[in-house]
Amino acid sequence: MSRTGIVVFLVVCVLFVVSWVVKAGTGDPEGHYIRDGFLVTFAAFLTLAIMSFMYKDNPYYKFAEHLFVGVSAAYWMCLAFWSTLVGNLVPRISERLSNAFMVPHQPGEYNFFFYIPVILGILLLMRLSPKGGWISRWPLAFIVGTTAGLNFVRYLRSDFINQINSTFLPLAVDWQGFGHFFSNLSLNATGQFVAMFGNCVIFFGVLCGVIYFFFSKEHTGWFGRASRVGIWVLMITFGASFGYTVMGRISLLVGRLTFLLRDWLGIAS
Amino acid sequence: MKRQIPVLLVFAFGVFTLFQFFVPHESSEWVYEFLLDWILIIGVFAMAVGIWSLFRVSVEKIKTRKSGWGYSYITLGSLIAMMVFGFTVRNGEAWGWFFAFVAAIVLAVFLVIQAVIDRGKAYLFAGLAGLCVAAAVVMAALDPAWSIHFQTAEGLQSTMFRAVFDYTLIPIFATMFSLLAFFIASAAYRAFRARNLMATLLLLAALIVMSRFNPFLQPILGEYVAKTSNWLMNVPNMAAQRAIIMGVGLGIAATALKVVLGIERGYMGKG
Amino acid sequence: MRYRPILLFLLILLCFTTALGQEPTDETEGPPDTVVVDSSLLPAPVTNLQARDTEDDNGHSVTLTWDVSTDDGSGRDDVYMYMIYRSMSPEGPFDSVGVAMKGATEHVNSSSKDRAQPDFMPDHTDYYYQVGAVTVGGLITRSDVAGPVQSYGQFFNMGRIPVFVFVVVFCALVVFFVASARKGADLYVRPLAGIEAVDDAIGRATEMGRPILYVLGLGTAEMVATIASFTILGRVAKRVAEYQTKLIVPCYESIVMAVAQEVVKSAYADAGRPDDYDEDSVFFVTSLQFAYVAAVNGIMLRELPATNVYMGKFFAESLLLAETGSIAGSIQIAGTDEIAQIPFFIVACDYTLIGEELYAASAYLGREPILLGSLKAQDLAKAAVVIIALAGLIATTFGWPGFAEALHVEN
Repeated sequence: MSRTGIVVFLVVCVLFVVSWVVKAGTGDPEGHYIRDGFLVTFAAFLTLAIMSFMYKDNPYYKFAEHLFVGVSAAYWMCLAFWSTLVGNLVPRISERLSNAFMVPHQPGEYNFFFYIPVILGILLLMRLSPKGGWISRWPLAFIVGTTAGLNFVRYLRSDFINQINSTFLPLAVDWQGFGHFFSNLSLNATGQFVAMFGNCVIFFGVLCGVIYFFFSKEHTGWFGRASRVGIWVLMITFGASFGYTVMGRISLLVGRLTFLLRDWLGIAS
Repeated sequence: MKRQIPVLLVFAFGVFTLFQFFVPHESSEWVYEFLLDWILIIGVFAMAVGIWSLFRVSVEKIKTRKSGWGYSYITLGSLIAMMVFGFTVRNGEAWGWFFAFVAAIVLAVFLVIQAVIDRGKAYLFAGLAGLCVAAAVVMAALDPAWSIHFQTAEGLQSTMFRAVFDYTLIPIFATMFSLLAFFIASAAYRAFRARNLMATLLLLAALIVMSRFNPFLQPILGEYVAKTSNWLMNVPNMAAQRAIIMGVGLGIAATALKVVLGIERGYMGKG
Repeated sequence: MRYRPILLFLLILLCFTTALGQEPTDETEGPPDTVVVDSSLLPAPVTNLQARDTEDDNGHSVTLTWDVSTDDGSGRDDVYMYMIYRSMSPEGPFDSVGVAMKGATEHVNSSSKDRAQPDFMPDHTDYYYQVGAVTVGGLITRSDVAGPVQSYGQFFNMGRIPVFVFVVVFCALVVFFVASARKGADLYVRPLAGIEAVDDAIGRATEMGRPILYVLGLGTAEMVATIASFTILGRVAKRVAEYQTKLIVPCYESIVMAVAQEVVKSAYADAGRPDDYDEDSVFFVTSLQFAYVAAVNGIMLRELPATNVYMGKFFAESLLLAETGSIAGSIQIAGTDEIAQIPFFIVACDYTLIGEELYAASAYLGREPILLGSLKAQDLAKAAVVIIALAGLIATTFGWPGFAEALHVEN
């Protein structure tokens, strides 16, 4: 470690201890003030460690990153164990195990079927043996097959047929004569001209967009021109979506700054 | 057989779920619900495979003294400690020897790893690991302040499991998320530099929508910007989204069908 | 007082005959002797009550239809809702099982299919229904009894016939084009910049002596975007094996990791270099979104991959990954079907596959005729969209709703 690194490390340690002492001192004397002081300081340290990534990769970020990975992996493991294995499987396969885990037994005529996923799960664990890897393809095939069939029809319905249906828009909207047609020329959607114009843009936008996604035909001539209009419409959409997301992300940053300034340093209300 | 049985399984279950969509009868629904439960249960076993992979890669890093190998101890230590937190519960207000117990378990695992890496001193490290385990067992048996609970999900609600979640996972999670604010700024700058029609269109639309939300620009630009921004979101945006969704729907359907029919086997290592 | 027994007898007789003249009541109406109702205030009952099994469902449900009370929307217009009553006998007792709003002419009485639930309703059992018109003042007039009716599940959902037709046509198209591709038909596919770039990117990585990072996204193994990504990974891994470049595949989910290991291992074997496969090149990180991102970002800055490939399902982390990769100076190729994330990839990556292009990519990379065959089927389906949309536009503009209804899919 370089000299600067050692100095920074010492400064971080001192600041950490000072913060811990101050937070513990100002904590609730009736509660676990030493532990709570440590935890708030630790949370602030981790927040700053992650933010330091914006400057460059550094030991504090690496520490937070590795801690994050270890803790989160174990968190999901525990959660899956208690909620799925103990919560979903145990009550159905054994009364004795249910009693041991203190979960209500759910007797059922066809509960023996729940031994099948256990067997498939064990087959999956065979991956860990050097020669049993091939048998672990069976549970994978079961999962992929089940969901592939499911996805096939569901997406064809929701993303394809229902979307075609929504494209059926009348191009002439409730015609009330030329006077009314030209009297409301703004992007305010109540105007008849704008409503009709909007429907035209949606209809031809969808058509050009679909044409852009043609793979087996060369994009030349009128087809190429329609495809080009299609990609323009897509780009406008991506821009609008980009702009829309920016504000949401900034509010997240404000949330973290509030934690540092209010919860940790106590300098903002 | 090694490849044919999985293909047959995919076909059988794929065709079943495909037809199940059209059969509303109770018996078909019942099998469908069973299958979904099965997938969840298999997922837990898969998680064990995943944790083992994380463990293995971390140990390998330590073993080969790869750059930054020391941090692997943090990953392994936090992984084991969090697992212990998930299976223990405090009985009263005091902590007793709980943290010494956790430290003993973590240390025991580290010593076992060391024994595997340093074959020359394997017996020494294994012996020390045994001592740590013995100490942990004694502490678990004699300390009344906490207990190991393999019963109900109490462990998940135990003080340390929650505390680590609230003060470690949440702050890092939220901070990583908030970094997006900086990244989006640099991404916008990158978009500004791009000089072609596509990038200009993207940027123009982004600027119109962003200026709508800007409290300083709004009074200057008036409500036309808000209306244009609304129009962009409701009209061209809707058209493009529909075109993309239709394409994606077809792509998903075609890929899924190829999987069911055994034409696409990329997921089994045979494309 | 010798007439007293006769008077007592007459009194008992009077009480008895009065009791006989009363209408029988049931529990749901409350004690009858506490309210004296002027029958002229009672609402007119609903008429033409019909009960039938609900169509296209799993059973345990009956659909009722009726003509509204003449005091609903007309007459005294004091009906504000309808009470639905059900019984296992035409004589009752009838239990209240639901309500319908004023003006409603239909109600679906759906009950639980679970025997343990209190509202369980067995199939193939006779049920009788009544509908009570309820006034603002709480007065109820019940209709005639409808029934018996039995609920039962159907074996085909008729409301999904349009989907069924599409499924059959699409299957036929895919099978036809795959078969003709197998026979050697020449299928043109237009070039996709993102796909063409993959080979160059692998070559560049080899020249620079740096690894290639392949990110499968946050999708689970059963998501089709991830399945498409597996196929692309197979192609990339094969080239990587041929060029003897290093590949890094950090995984977000355990099953994804298991499948990805299988894919990469097989690709190395196909490339004739099974011994070069390193099992630790495909590894699990964690299943928490930003923990995964933190780790992958770390890999990008420490291993400095020459090329980053992002293919699959991505969410808010897309920009964090792509920007970090960009800062690290890597060539980046991305593909996702998540519409909200495509803009970030477009801005931060060198090449982006938009939506369906991700699914087409697997066929492109392999240039295998049978995979390209399905692209032709997809294009024909899109041509059908253009034609149907034009027909729909004409039909809607001229006010013919039948066309849109034919394509409408119930539930």
